[in-house]
Amino acid sequence: MAKIIVITSGKGGVGKTTSTAALGAGLALRGKKTVVIDFDVGLRNLDMVMGCERRVVFDFINVIQGDAKLNQALIKDRRLDNLSILPTSQTRDKDALTREGVEKVIEELRNEFDYILCDSPAGIERGAHLAMYFADEAVVVTNPEVSSVRDSDRVLGLLSSKTRRAEKGEAPVQSHLLLTRYDPERVAKGDMMKVDDVLEILSIPLLGIIPESPTVLSASNVGTPVILSANSNAGKAYADAVSRLMGAQIEMRVLGPERRSFLQRMLWRAT
Amino acid sequence: MISTQRVEVGAGAQRPSVAPFQVRGRFFTAIVLQMARAPDAAFFAALDTMLAQTPHFFANAPFVLDLDQAAEIGPNFDFIGLARDMRNRKVTLIGVQNGTIEQNKAALHAGLITLPGGTDVLPETRSQAPAANGEATPKAEAKPAKAREHKVAPLREAPIAPLTGATLLVTEPVRSGQQIFAERGDLVVVASVSPGAELIAHGNIHVYGALRGRALAGVHGDNAARIFCQGLEAELIAIAGLYKLSDAIDPSLRRGRVQAFLDNGTLCVEPLK
Repeated sequence: MAKIIVITSGKGGVGKTTSTAALGAGLALRGKKTVVIDFDVGLRNLDMVMGCERRVVFDFINVIQGDAKLNQALIKDRRLDNLSILPTSQTRDKDALTREGVEKVIEELRNEFDYILCDSPAGIERGAHLAMYFADEAVVVTNPEVSSVRDSDRVLGLLSSKTRRAEKGEAPVQSHLLLTRYDPERVAKGDMMKVDDVLEILSIPLLGIIPESPTVLSASNVGTPVILSANSNAGKAYADAVSRLMGAQIEMRVLGPERRSFLQRMLWRAT
Repeated sequence: MISTQRVEVGAGAQRPSVAPFQVRGRFFTAIVLQMARAPDAAFFAALDTMLAQTPHFFANAPFVLDLDQAAEIGPNFDFIGLARDMRNRKVTLIGVQNGTIEQNKAALHAGLITLPGGTDVLPETRSQAPAANGEATPKAEAKPAKAREHKVAPLREAPIAPLTGATLLVTEPVRSGQQIFAERGDLVVVASVSPGAELIAHGNIHVYGALRGRALAGVHGDNAARIFCQGLEAELIAIAGLYKLSDAIDPSLRRGRVQAFLDNGTLCVEPLK
């Protein structure tokens, strides 16, 4: 039976799609059959970050509306056998999502996959609500700054009350905190919140600290999950996060953005 | 409606030493009798039985008639007579609800008020006035207890457990956007309260953690209610309608272990020793 994990945040632009791609690829690398689903109808990005935007024929909404079968819409990742993507529609909007439709798709995916990752849109309305509704676990992506923390806090409240598990009185959705775009220098200067301050407000277990890194943009430009990028501190942090997601206890290392060495900085013009 | 501002009447350019009165919003619980037809002998018999069984419950309670299903009560109905008959039973009728325009006119003429809305109160621990005789089914019944619906703010979402009596205990952090309402007693939170969350209580509010949202104690008018917390970072605190915003609280008290209470009509915040 698959584990359904929603990657959500409330706030936009904090790194949900980047994280969904990285965590999905990371799980697939460990041999787990994983599918990542884009719930951001009308503003889809997951297919681009995964590098399969030119292979989208049918999408999530087509499946929900019965215009296509699930295996027609699922795209197998070219790099990793265990990884599939279910993209969403770019022409429709979130009103096209229905609870029954989403439930049907998830039930079908449950039998085939070990992990189902739902990439939630920003906000707390229909798209975000349906992305989290069927979740067993949640990865709450937060930037170490006040607005993001406040929005994540709101989302945590919704996870404990507006999900199927909450409504049925089952074991609650297990929430994990993924701190992204972390820059230790800015934290030291006081511009960004410290990890402890964020944890004090949100009070959920820390899944990982992903440093701010230019490799994230580079990876997204070429359509590769950043966990597959060599020499990326963000990628390394995501790898640790995947281990923790699978239950391992790993010491938290706080990496910063990659810095070029003095020699590299002196010589960059020559290259 | 909670009035969150105290208005002093008569305060002109020069503040008089004592204002003639102060305006405050207050909640009072009224007993609503849902009428199925015009009051007759059976109505008064049932009323008498109800009052005899639990006299203290109804003593001094303001009564309201719900006319939603009492089309029979016409525009010429003798509300004055009814109010008098009820007063003879030591029951004071103050108003009507859900009446037609004609019914309301008649009621107003009799000195009753027409009340809008109203929300139900949770069940009291003592027994409700039971249905009296079998044959003449009492048309008057004390309003049944239903779960409260918030008309103003969103439904509470956090897991809560009622302690014995009426105190609510919350053990999970209260998240931004959540609202906890302890309608009949105190509210105890053994966790932190996030910014954007609201705690509302009939009685006192205790937060064994950081209080970062809003806390309103004594909302039904209890001036003796207090707010206690381990770390005061609240956006707003209020007791019995009197409120203070965070910028009106002494900065030295921020993040401190404090209690807030009313002293002679002023909202005081003092450190806990």
